[in-house]
Amino acid sequence: MTLKSSLARATAKSSYWVLRHILHRGGTSLPGKLAVAIDPDILKTIQQDFDLIIVTGTNGKTLTTALITRVLQAGGYEVITNPSGSNMIQGITGTLVTTKVKSSPNGKKPLAVLEVDEANVEKITNAIHPKMFVLTNIFRDQLDRYGEIYTTYDKIIAGIKNAPDALVLANGDSPIFTRGDFTNTRRYFGFNHINPTDFKPAVAPINTDGILSPTDHSVLHYDFITYANLGKYFSTTDQFARPELKYQVTSVDQLTPKYSQFSIDNTPLRIEIGGLYNIYNALTAFSVGREFGVTPAQIKKAFESNAQIFGRQEAINVDGKDVTIVLIKNPVGANSVIDMMLTETDEFSLLALLNANYADGIDTSWIWDAEFEKLHHTNIKAVATGGERYQDLRVRLKMAGFAEQAVYEDLTKIVAAIKALPTKKVYIAATYTAMLQLREQLKAAGYIKGGF
Amino acid sequence: MANYDISVAHLYGNLMNTYGDYGNIIALTYYAKQIGVTVDYHLVSLNDHFDPETYNFVLFGGGQDYEETIVAHDLKTKAEQIKTYIENDGPLLAVCGGFQLLGHYMIMADGTKVDGIGVMDHYTTNMHDDKITILNGKRLTGNIVIKNNDTGETYHGFENHQGRTFLGKSERALGTVISGNGNNGLDKTEGVIYRNVYGSYFHGPIFTRNGNLAKRVLATALSKKYPNVNWSEKLSQIDTETF
Ligand SMILES: [Zn+2]
Repeated sequence: MTLKSSLARATAKSSYWVLRHILHRGGTSLPGKLAVAIDPDILKTIQQDFDLIIVTGTNGKTLTTALITRVLQAGGYEVITNPSGSNMIQGITGTLVTTKVKSSPNGKKPLAVLEVDEANVEKITNAIHPKMFVLTNIFRDQLDRYGEIYTTYDKIIAGIKNAPDALVLANGDSPIFTRGDFTNTRRYFGFNHINPTDFKPAVAPINTDGILSPTDHSVLHYDFITYANLGKYFSTTDQFARPELKYQVTSVDQLTPKYSQFSIDNTPLRIEIGGLYNIYNALTAFSVGREFGVTPAQIKKAFESNAQIFGRQEAINVDGKDVTIVLIKNPVGANSVIDMMLTETDEFSLLALLNANYADGIDTSWIWDAEFEKLHHTNIKAVATGGERYQDLRVRLKMAGFAEQAVYEDLTKIVAAIKALPTKKVYIAATYTAMLQLREQLKAAGYIKGGF
Repeated sequence: MANYDISVAHLYGNLMNTYGDYGNIIALTYYAKQIGVTVDYHLVSLNDHFDPETYNFVLFGGGQDYEETIVAHDLKTKAEQIKTYIENDGPLLAVCGGFQLLGHYMIMADGTKVDGIGVMDHYTTNMHDDKITILNGKRLTGNIVIKNNDTGETYHGFENHQGRTFLGKSERALGTVISGNGNNGLDKTEGVIYRNVYGSYFHGPIFTRNGNLAKRVLATALSKKYPNVNWSEKLSQIDTETF
């Protein structure tokens, strides 16, 4: 290590310490900025200390990164990872330069597992050549900011091309990941839980994107769809089909809003969170673990002993009401949440909160691709809407057939709103800044502790 | 109550539905139901035949550049039938990419020129065009309010497009821009009206936030099929969602 890089690292660490222990702020962006200012090559210098795994995609990367981390730790690796949300270049640099790398208990090289924002993959790989890219999915996500799904994928590809020796481990159920002119070795994971005699040929619903074959641009057909445009797809006009899967979900045994039971490569597993999309997150972590030699038994244990990491789907108690808070930010995410509610067997109420600030996505039109109509097939007893864009949601749900709604323009009344709902179980689906405001209210009323 | 129904075609709905455009059909169906009208939905996509006699309303939404290129190619095979539908005063709502492809041509963000079917007289250039003096190189993104000069109605929505559309002589704007950018950021026009075709860059989608427009188009569609009923009168008796 050069003097310059040592100085950069020391400065970053001390600023991180000051931020955390004196100013009581968590961020790693400022330490990252300082380190780069002193030594622009700091990332290149420190990369000898670990092997890097980049996790990217639009939905689920935070949870997936956390799961991968636990799985690799269970396999005896020392793992560095970035805190949730700090997935841009500065935050990542900050994480890497302020974390002390210890040696792995299993004697292998330590690993850095980083959640990287799609648009930042190229920047990171300009400095560090990862061992592996993990591609979760690419769904339409806040187009006002980043553009279209193929544009998003192009950004990831630019990063992949920086590291041609890295393995690309991708979701094989997503047709987009068969695209891309990079030469890296690719391996795929996906779902194979349905017996061929039970296949129900289908095309994807109209509210999904990315349904054209890369060969002749014909509309893809599916033997089965798990959700959105994910599933076992094939072309009816040529030989194009889903690639062979190296790791696969071999059964889905039980789906509930609170936990899921399934097996991957015939190992029975359980995670303490509902939603089929979370089984994809678990499958991703399983696949990464297996690539690094972690045994199925160790992975099983990692899933079961880390129930608390499923933080984004948060359960709280409000005067005896069993409240579950879920984040919604794009149509596929919202539909996954609705699918999760379809597995709820008890009576429940839904409180939906919509903001349209920058962090939420300023375009609210995606709520029309969310299939709230499906909620009529559940035990839903009441619907309430709120947030700065309560009008959009109120009309959306009204047109979905929920004529009776309590409407809360002002989130300061949200605790009262929860109490006013008629059922013991309450689901709150909120966009990012609405969730922050909600948490403030719940904190002020003493129902939750701590920040976000 | 007598039973009425209308048939709706969603042109390339599986490829051109990128910003919740289907919401327009949800809104139309919502108003139709309250006056005893059933809406039958039909997806008309790649390689499907479009019969101009079958449908009472057509939605043609927006898509991503790649899908739009594929659609543009297929659309040529339906051009004659769509022209017939439009010239017979069939009601049609075209949003964003759909709006662009009914015109002469469009230039995509990367400079590729894509032929429209020219059944309407506008054309679309891209954000990098030298002629664009305002917000050159930038997408036109944000909340937008326009005023329909025929009816005096105000419409609210959200625009998000790189294309700059210029209307032809036979066309008039759906509205004048009060705030936001509209078709091209230059001439204060937003969208288009030609016969019973409405074009717009509004996401939102436009019928969901502007119930008065949804109702007018619904009344037009119904009056063509069932001329002996006073549909405007029926629709005026139910609540209109505008926000
Ligand atoms: Zn658009």
